[in-house]
Amino acid sequence: MLALLPFHKSILEDIHDPATSDFVLLARGLGLRRIVCTLMKIYDSPQSLTLLLNASPDEESAIGEELGVMGCRKPGLRAVGYEMGRKDRQDLYNQGGLVSVTSRILVVDMLQSDIPTELITGIIVLHAEKVTPLSLEAFIVRLYREKNKIGFLKAFCDEPEHITSGLSPLRTILKELQLRTVHIYPRFHEDIKKSLAERRADVIEVYPHLTESMKDIHTATVQCMTTTLAELKRSNTTLDLDDLNVDNAYFRSFDAIVRRQLDPVWHKVGPKTKQLVSDLATLRRLLTYLLSYDALAFHAYLETIIASNTTGAGGGQKQHQSPWLLTDAANIIFQVAKRRCYTLSKKKLTFPSADDLDPAEDEEAWAALDEIEFGAGAGRRAEKEKEKEKEKKWLPEGMDPVLEELPKWETLAEVMEEIENEMLRFESMGMSSSFTPGSNTVLIMTSSTRTSNLVSEYLESMDASAPPGQKGRKMMQRKLRSYLWWKSKLSGQKGDGRPPSRLPEKVGHVLDVGDAAQDEGVSEALKRKDRERVERQQNRRRVRGGAANASVSTRGKEKKNEVTAVGEGSMKDEADDIAEFLMTHGTSAAELLSFDDSGPPSLTAFDEDIARSLDAPEFDDVYGLLAPQQTVVVRSYSDDSDDMMLAEIQPRFIVMFEPNQDFIRRIEVYRSSSPGLGVRLYFMMYRNSSEEHKYLLGLRREKDAFERLIKERGSMLMPILEERRSGSNDAMIKTISSRIAGGRKELNKEPSSVIVDVREFRSSLPSLLHASGLVIVPATLTVGDYVLTPDMCVERKSIPDLVSSFNSGRLYTQCELMSVHYKQPILLIEFEEHKSFSLEAVSDMKSYVKPTGKYPQKKPNNGPADPDGPSAPSIQSKLVLLTLSFPRLRIIWSSSPYATCNIFADLKLNNPEPDPSTAISVGAEDDAERGAGVNAAAEELLRSLPGITAKNVHYVMSKVGSVRELCELGLEQVQDILGVEPGKTCYEFMHKSSRKKW
Amino acid sequence: MSSTAARPPVKPPVVQPGTGNNIIVNPCQRLNPILDHVRNVGKEFGDIVSDFQVGRTTGVLFLSLKYHRLHPEYIHTRIEKLGHSFNLRILLLMCDVSEHQEPIRELTKTCLINNITIMVAWFPEEAGAYLSTYKQFEHRPPDMIKERVDKDHLSILRTALTSISKVNKTDVETLRTSIGSFAEIASTPSSRLLSLPGFGQVKVRRMKDAFEKPFRNQA
Repeated sequence: MLALLPFHKSILEDIHDPATSDFVLLARGLGLRRIVCTLMKIYDSPQSLTLLLNASPDEESAIGEELGVMGCRKPGLRAVGYEMGRKDRQDLYNQGGLVSVTSRILVVDMLQSDIPTELITGIIVLHAEKVTPLSLEAFIVRLYREKNKIGFLKAFCDEPEHITSGLSPLRTILKELQLRTVHIYPRFHEDIKKSLAERRADVIEVYPHLTESMKDIHTATVQCMTTTLAELKRSNTTLDLDDLNVDNAYFRSFDAIVRRQLDPVWHKVGPKTKQLVSDLATLRRLLTYLLSYDALAFHAYLETIIASNTTGAGGGQKQHQSPWLLTDAANIIFQVAKRRCYTLSKKKLTFPSADDLDPAEDEEAWAALDEIEFGAGAGRRAEKEKEKEKEKKWLPEGMDPVLEELPKWETLAEVMEEIENEMLRFESMGMSSSFTPGSNTVLIMTSSTRTSNLVSEYLESMDASAPPGQKGRKMMQRKLRSYLWWKSKLSGQKGDGRPPSRLPEKVGHVLDVGDAAQDEGVSEALKRKDRERVERQQNRRRVRGGAANASVSTRGKEKKNEVTAVGEGSMKDEADDIAEFLMTHGTSAAELLSFDDSGPPSLTAFDEDIARSLDAPEFDDVYGLLAPQQTVVVRSYSDDSDDMMLAEIQPRFIVMFEPNQDFIRRIEVYRSSSPGLGVRLYFMMYRNSSEEHKYLLGLRREKDAFERLIKERGSMLMPILEERRSGSNDAMIKTISSRIAGGRKELNKEPSSVIVDVREFRSSLPSLLHASGLVIVPATLTVGDYVLTPDMCVERKSIPDLVSSFNSGRLYTQCELMSVHYKQPILLIEFEEHKSFSLEAVSDMKSYVKPTGKYPQKKPNNGPADPDGPSAPSIQSKLVLLTLSFPRLRIIWSSSPYATCNIFADLKLNNPEPDPSTAISVGAEDDAERGAGVNAAAEELLRSLPGITAKNVHYVMSKVGSVRELCELGLEQVQDILGVEPGKTCYEFMHKSSRKKW
Repeated sequence: MSSTAARPPVKPPVVQPGTGNNIIVNPCQRLNPILDHVRNVGKEFGDIVSDFQVGRTTGVLFLSLKYHRLHPEYIHTRIEKLGHSFNLRILLLMCDVSEHQEPIRELTKTCLINNITIMVAWFPEEAGAYLSTYKQFEHRPPDMIKERVDKDHLSILRTALTSISKVNKTDVETLRTSIGSFAEIASTPSSRLLSLPGFGQVKVRRMKDAFEKPFRNQA
């Protein structure tokens, strides 16, 4: 269990009172999960019902686990999923305790009174930054407060940067959650400062410099970004583009900013602007890849960019080339990136002198190289022989590998050495690990799994005796080999159009996977095993506690031993053989290829072997042997579960391979909460790089966000939470209004209500309808989505829905059903708020929904030519056809859910209220158990059978239990149900064995 | 207003509307820019109650929101004049203002009461396309938007099985070739399915859910 620090305690003291409702905003990395868990533990009791909202499945399990450790086990946190039946849910709620539930289920349960809303003790909302007036959480809170005034509501958030939208973002959230108290705890909060300042971690900051060539690429990329931004601004003068600067462009949220600015006019901006926006993303990615990819992968990525840019989707010359590709700066990027990998020359040159190579010659050399190595027409055998001739060197002639390594690798090697010495010193001083807390495991943290794979690979193959900058030579050579193989594929594809085994784009991104596959067998197997082990470790964490700190990657020697210990089967030998074979022979492309083919199966078998041995009880014998000082754990940053990881591994040496402010805080907390533990942190960051810039900017952004929120809190007008008037008042006023011919109508005291299909709760419309004062009645409807009055039935379609249901023909059936059962069938076409209110946007979409050849016989019998030309959006013509087929169908065009609300309210005026039971039974007359839960998958399958139509499907469902039962019926029985002709079709379909015929 | 119905009174110089292959245009729309975008169908002027008559039983009123803002009463008089003529009555709305929410809401209600269907266009080209499409589709059966009924066995089988999530076309082939008919697939035990290439736990569970779980769960 994680200890609580003084500031944790003071936060808890502030918020634990179940009589108050609070909003807690805590800086990331300070242990929000710890607070939530402690709080939940306080409320855990069968007498109370506490709901956890907005937790992702991962968080759900992690919180449940942590609660288990803290001692609330029976029953602990229970999650409500879709599979759970209505009855089970009711029981669960009535039992009380801690329940995690998704918003969608909770809304329906609350509306249907399956959950005793008035008895809920409290609700805990995570990720409160996501609450908007349109979100389901806001709806839930409204429903909750309607019936329950005394329960608490605690909302948590650790991403202040996200609370920015709108004029007074904090107030919006408070208003939606109906809260009045906010607690803001930034890192610079007094309590937190005091708690963490007592014991500082021993930090060694290492600032490796970028190499010259990396610097060049870096500056050139930034230059490209500036150009692209300038271009973007120039082509969209009307937009407010103040926020668009290079600083912001470093962050991923930049894309969101741009989209928000451009969304209302997105259908009008040309392909050029779209290209520019995506270019910015590419360039940003380049900046990060420059620092985290090895030189070869980076170069390969650049090559795929060029390849994908020169040829369009249709294979022809692309229309809109990315402008930055044509700049000088881009040229520098490509040239230098290549020079980092290798240089080419006709005669042998020593590699630093590569500067005087000119690009034209370069290209020639490449062409020559391609020919020599993978001769376009030459057979494989000839090729192989050629390869054999110069077997000593698998490198193509005239190619000098440079293989620049990332400066951080070198630094890491030094750091590891220092750590080792330090450990030895400790030991010699007689400080054995049994007296001092913490283990000697070295923890290396990276930003992504890709980097952590790379780092562990580097550490595995590191050659400590090599001169600086060459230590990873072996790994790099391996990578070069696979790169050459990949390159050959790339050119091979261009040459003879052979079906590619791997797409170049894919390779660019997942190159490491490819690399891994071509690595020597041993390390591959080990890596897989490691992965497995990490998983296992995570599962077993609870049980094994600190003992499971087995390494994720171990240093060279232990490795070999382990393999012999584990892989006793013949599979291991096979894998070794392959490895050996690869090591001894020079690897030609063909061989690499063949290895690629034969590799995986043997490895998977090997894997199984390992899995078996892992399952066996001697897990400890195999993995428990390693002393902690020999283990190095390489991980990537994740969320609050990192806290748990730190507490379990208890490392004394931590290397932060890339900067991350959250993790620094985690270390502060970890250090402060484990007294007597000396933690040494190595913090690595490239000097003058985008990394440094991003880190500092990130710090500043968070600080600014907090300051802004604190300021807003100071000057905020507290929302007065108005009591929701019960609907009858409105109705009364409405009915006695003198504008309606008085006395003509019965006084209608019923509250205004709308029946909503349960599947519709995904959208925000029900919530808004409720907010506008209507009573929402959830029901499983067969016909329509909303029933407004006994005569009016509405089918709601968002734009993508509209397109897809036109294509599938579903809309036609739905309209048909509505027309049969209701006097006024209505199709509601709902656009999104802040998006353009126009069908033009659809024509964009359509182009990739279904590209061509959809209307072979579009010409009408009497029309002379194609009706609306090639450019006409077909969605319109389908709408035309729909209205022609259903003259009674009305269409509501609504620009946003808000507008829909107004329209609905308008339509309901002076009309009688709908009756839920009739609405449910409509269209389901022959369905005996209407309104019960539906097995959607089975229904869908049944519908797709021939002879079964939308009209008889319910009858069939009431007659037979499942699809399988239907299949087992005889011909006569099927005909009894479906009628003679359809019954025959259906029966024949089901029993036609396609094997004979086809 | 009452009995003129679909066929306006026959006046000597006017071509008998509603029979030919042309869109009949009310002379008051003569200067409407959307007329330029009505392509591929003939146009003729005629004395009709609606603005455009695009079929024997289909009448279209045209309204630009900009105009509506200035003369809100105009459309009501037009609707009144329309009376009960036409089976399908369309209000073609040109959305050329940015404040469209209020007028659309109000018009939606009016049209619902008067049995008029609203179509919204944003550009003259679009509006023109609507008109010509209405004319061209006058006698078109709704096959294009109907659920397509595939005739051959294989495609029905494919649609049926792929309606189960996670099952793709390759899997359908696998099932068809290694197991056989639909009924046989339905009764295949999970263990057999699991042994097929490409079938994992999840996929098999989904299939079993669809085939064997009852349609209605008693909740």
